[in-house]
Amino acid sequence: MKTVKLFTLLTLFIVTSSCSNDNDDEIFLQIETNSVMNLHAPQTGGMDQMGNPVPISGEFTKFDFSTGTTTTSDTEWDIAFRGTSIIINGGVSSGSTDEPERTGNAAAYMATGTIASVKAVNTSLLEQDSVNGYVLSNWYTYAGPPTHLITPTAGKIIVVRTQDGKYAKIELLSYYKDAPENPDAYTDEERYFTFNYVYQPNEGELTFE
Amino acid sequence: MKFKSIFIIVVFVPFFCLSQQQVEKSNDTIITQYLNEVVVTATQTIRQLSSLPLPVQIIAKKELKETGSTRLDAILNEQTGLITVSEFVGGEGIQMQGLDSQYSLILIDGVPLIGRSAGTLDVSRVSVGNIKQIEVVKGASSSLYGSKALAGVINIITDTPKNGFNGDLSYRYGTFNTHDTNITLGYRKEKFAIQSFINRNSSDGYQFLNAADLNTVDPYSSYTFNSKLSYKLNENTKITASGRYYIQDQIYAPTLDEKGEINSNEWNTHLKANHKSGEKWNSYFEFYASRYKAEEYLNSVADNSLFSESDYNELLIRPEIRTTYKSNEKHSFTSGFGLNHETLDRTDFTTTPEFNSPFVYFQYDGNPNKKLNVILGARFDSHNEYKSQFSPKGALRFELNDKISFKGSVGYGFKAPDFRQLYFDFSNGFVGYTILGYNTVTTRIPELENEGQITNVVVPISEFEGQLLAENSVAYNFGVNYNPISTLNLEINLFRNDIKDLIDTRLIANKTNGQGVFSYYNVNNVHTQGLEFNTTWKPNNSLKISGGYQLLYAKDKKAKDAFKDGEVFARKSSNSPAFQLNEDDYFGLYNRSRHMANLKVFYTFKKWDLNTNIRGKYRSKYGLFDTNSNNYLDAYDGFVNAYTLWDWAINKTFSNNYEIGLGVDNIFNFTDAPESVNDALFIGNIPGRMLYTKLNIQF
Repeated sequence: MKTVKLFTLLTLFIVTSSCSNDNDDEIFLQIETNSVMNLHAPQTGGMDQMGNPVPISGEFTKFDFSTGTTTTSDTEWDIAFRGTSIIINGGVSSGSTDEPERTGNAAAYMATGTIASVKAVNTSLLEQDSVNGYVLSNWYTYAGPPTHLITPTAGKIIVVRTQDGKYAKIELLSYYKDAPENPDAYTDEERYFTFNYVYQPNEGELTFE
Repeated sequence: MKFKSIFIIVVFVPFFCLSQQQVEKSNDTIITQYLNEVVVTATQTIRQLSSLPLPVQIIAKKELKETGSTRLDAILNEQTGLITVSEFVGGEGIQMQGLDSQYSLILIDGVPLIGRSAGTLDVSRVSVGNIKQIEVVKGASSSLYGSKALAGVINIITDTPKNGFNGDLSYRYGTFNTHDTNITLGYRKEKFAIQSFINRNSSDGYQFLNAADLNTVDPYSSYTFNSKLSYKLNENTKITASGRYYIQDQIYAPTLDEKGEINSNEWNTHLKANHKSGEKWNSYFEFYASRYKAEEYLNSVADNSLFSESDYNELLIRPEIRTTYKSNEKHSFTSGFGLNHETLDRTDFTTTPEFNSPFVYFQYDGNPNKKLNVILGARFDSHNEYKSQFSPKGALRFELNDKISFKGSVGYGFKAPDFRQLYFDFSNGFVGYTILGYNTVTTRIPELENEGQITNVVVPISEFEGQLLAENSVAYNFGVNYNPISTLNLEINLFRNDIKDLIDTRLIANKTNGQGVFSYYNVNNVHTQGLEFNTTWKPNNSLKISGGYQLLYAKDKKAKDAFKDGEVFARKSSNSPAFQLNEDDYFGLYNRSRHMANLKVFYTFKKWDLNTNIRGKYRSKYGLFDTNSNNYLDAYDGFVNAYTLWDWAINKTFSNNYEIGLGVDNIFNFTDAPESVNDALFIGNIPGRMLYTKLNIQF
């Protein structure tokens, strides 16, 4: 029943905001279940018209779980997107052009399950971006010719520790603008992320229930 | 339960026919030919088909002629449990008992065809114009034939000339401007026989609408030359020499920006001496050599500059000696030994590798009593590049009475790693990934690292210091044959193939360009199992009805476990949240249909020298690839829909030597063309209705 309730919330796209302006220290903040649609994550470079690789550059689109919106802040961001690259605000850069400086202590891992079945954070799995690559590099499946579709792999849930030590879980749904039911890599605009997430705003709290 | 209803039709309808037949009483004068058919492939000795303990099918020349077939792929597709599927760039390969074409052996007069650039042997290469019969032995047969005889063996037996001078000319013209011309000339007198065969086959190919303005099949033309000469030195010694040459040119236009050609040719020569000493000893000395070459190039359409080229040059040489000793009517022993010498010179290879593999085999074929036939055999293949293989096999046939017999066999089959899996060194110019053969990893990875091309190594090089193992299987077949009356034959065969150490590719390192380095490793355990049912009913000399059905489950063990452990997820549509799948959602391997069936009716109007036939084949739905991005084929994936094809042919003979024929393949014009440029779930090898007419002259 929990799942059904959750999905109802999701489909209604209810954006709840936390009521943390209360004076009471003991108050337990409500878990936030949200959807983000069409987070635009452009990049330049990649491949030229002849199909030759060209270095990728361009600003990452940064996202902050505490506000539930994208941000241009240099420090108050948790996760950032550019094309198929997803980085977190924790660890070190792998050296690609225009990567923002990581100022926080974010960490992440990829869990297997549905968004409902990931009920708690397993902190032993948390990792940070490193010179060897991004923790969240493995989120999609590329279909290859002829469709060339990029699809978030079903059953992969991103679990994130935010830059300020809170936790969130994300299910990526689409890489194409307006999250079409049957995307077409030739006509639908790519690099638009649509995802559902659950944010646990209470510091140190490891469960999502 | 769709399966249930099909099963009921296939299994019980013949019984219905049977009960009618008994009322009418069978005609004693009818010659039931299928009881007298003989086979050589199953045991390497001449054996009566119906007495064999193994699952064997025969396709007779009569059927080849009456169905108007010109290439091997068409006629194999009409047989129970056989289907050609397009794999990679290798053309039409045969799938047998649910196993890919790289696991079955295609022989011509007992010696193998070579030229599998990506593992697939394109069976449309073989013209059926000079074929006497095709023998299909199912189940692992490595105990006699060594590597690749894992799913089974298809042996094409070529024709031998009649007495005197004789010839056969035939020409067939059909849709897509397809021409097929055969000339056969033969001569036989006393000790000497010679036969020459020439075939030309060409087509304009075809194009599906919406298929990106590219041909689905590009235009091609091919020639086959085949000559066979035999001479009897004396009563006991016979020498046969045969040569075959095949050449094909095909346009190659994978995109609108490039155009080129693929030219391939193959020759083989087969020398055989047969000596009998007395009634008991029969020996063969054979020498076989074959070379397959393929060259392809692609030019840029814009400025005609060379875009890419590659070549492939494979050689096989095989001497073999085989002796059969028949101690009496009850026991016969066959043993043989030989050597396979193979080389391959190919673009994207680090070396020109050489395989040497001596082999020895032994077989006992005995009838301890009238009701029992036992075959025990084993073969040992030694090899310079992979672990030696010992392939035993045992088979038993028990005749309960005149009407019912049982047969069962257990055999080991293997497929040696091929040259590509060991020596490939290929980097894709477009995308930038690299594929390395198992044996090249230890030298190439350090080289790539020195060149600064590697970000990190995923699988340590030390894992490539051993040997890649041969893919291997144990095959079980159990069958019942029932002849309630002389005109009706019912046969059922249950099969299971347990395949281990299947070779797959995996990522072994990441490159600085963001792409991967892949190599081969032994990983998958797969099984295929199912049942095959065949029936033939020949109530009189005019009518023959046959039907067949195969039920197939082909599954990967690791995939099965992943579903069982709840590690697999899917989405209803590509933008909806994922949910967990369970074991029942796993469909199995790609490109396998759970059900395949065929029905054929042949009728001869003796009075008018006319024969006609109608043939139908059914294939249930199958998956071509994972469409929902979970790396498995599950119930929520896109499938190619089930289909049925019907073919019809009619032939009329005039004054014994002249025959004209007409035919329609795919009467109802079925196609499953791509719906758009990026629709990949379509059937590329069914172009719609095809009409043809043919003329045949014998003299």
